[in-house]
Amino acid sequence: MSSDRLNRTFAALADPTRRAILARLLSGEASVTELAEPFAMSLPGISKHLKVLERAGLIVRGREAQWRPCRLEPRPLKDAADWLEHYRRFWEASFDRLEAYLKDLQGKGKQRGRRH
Amino acid sequence: MGADIDAAADIVAADTTDRQLVVTRVIDAPRPLVFRAWIEPDHVARWWGPQGFTTTFCDMDIRPGGKFRFCMRSPEGTDHWKRGIYREIIAPERIVFTFAWEDAAGNPGHELLTTVTFAEQGTRTKLTLHQAIFQTVEACNDHHRGWTSCMERFAEYMTPAQARKA
Repeated sequence: MSSDRLNRTFAALADPTRRAILARLLSGEASVTELAEPFAMSLPGISKHLKVLERAGLIVRGREAQWRPCRLEPRPLKDAADWLEHYRRFWEASFDRLEAYLKDLQGKGKQRGRRH
Repeated sequence: MGADIDAAADIVAADTTDRQLVVTRVIDAPRPLVFRAWIEPDHVARWWGPQGFTTTFCDMDIRPGGKFRFCMRSPEGTDHWKRGIYREIIAPERIVFTFAWEDAAGNPGHELLTTVTFAEQGTRTKLTLHQAIFQTVEACNDHHRGWTSCMERFAEYMTPAQARKA
């Protein structure tokens, strides 16, 4: 996954309003008006957030001129989650080795012998 | 598609103010030793990376602003390079660094700000690793509480503009 795309995904997710919009879209498509309802925000304000989400590829908007429903595009979020999971596994695996290494190191110091 | 939606829900709905990856581990070794294992190349090369990987290159300039670059070789013989810059080295309590994998052309990928804290628990040490995912200035503004390292990044970000004015 490209760094630019990840940067865009994370930058888009960094804002709580945008996360709330995405959370709303998890339950189905919605119009800009519907999305604006829970927030004390003007329609242009919401539109700005939607543009960020759209540029990040996190939502797609319908073509109809009047009512352009927004729909969640889960792929980049899935990729970001996978990428984070990769890091988690990397650290967990490294910590396993660190733990074993330090155990070994201390064992050697104290009793001159290998643990395994 | 179902699995994609679940993963999406996971990353969106996790109601955390600081979106971070957190990994903790209690290690049965005294804190000064655990800390040394992070800052001395001979130690680091012995444990960094998953089982079966070997560290074939390890260059660490341990000081704030110092760079590091490692190469990890997989059991299949593939090299994985990673690099970063140390932000804080506070022995034996805390290390803060940026961290990114390089692609095949040597370009760094998405950079994460990583904070490792070492807490004494009797003769053992609790290691906590945070990876801050959001590093935009906007995120710094959102999550200003106690996020000093992020603010330092913000300061760095601002400095060139001010320097130009001066």
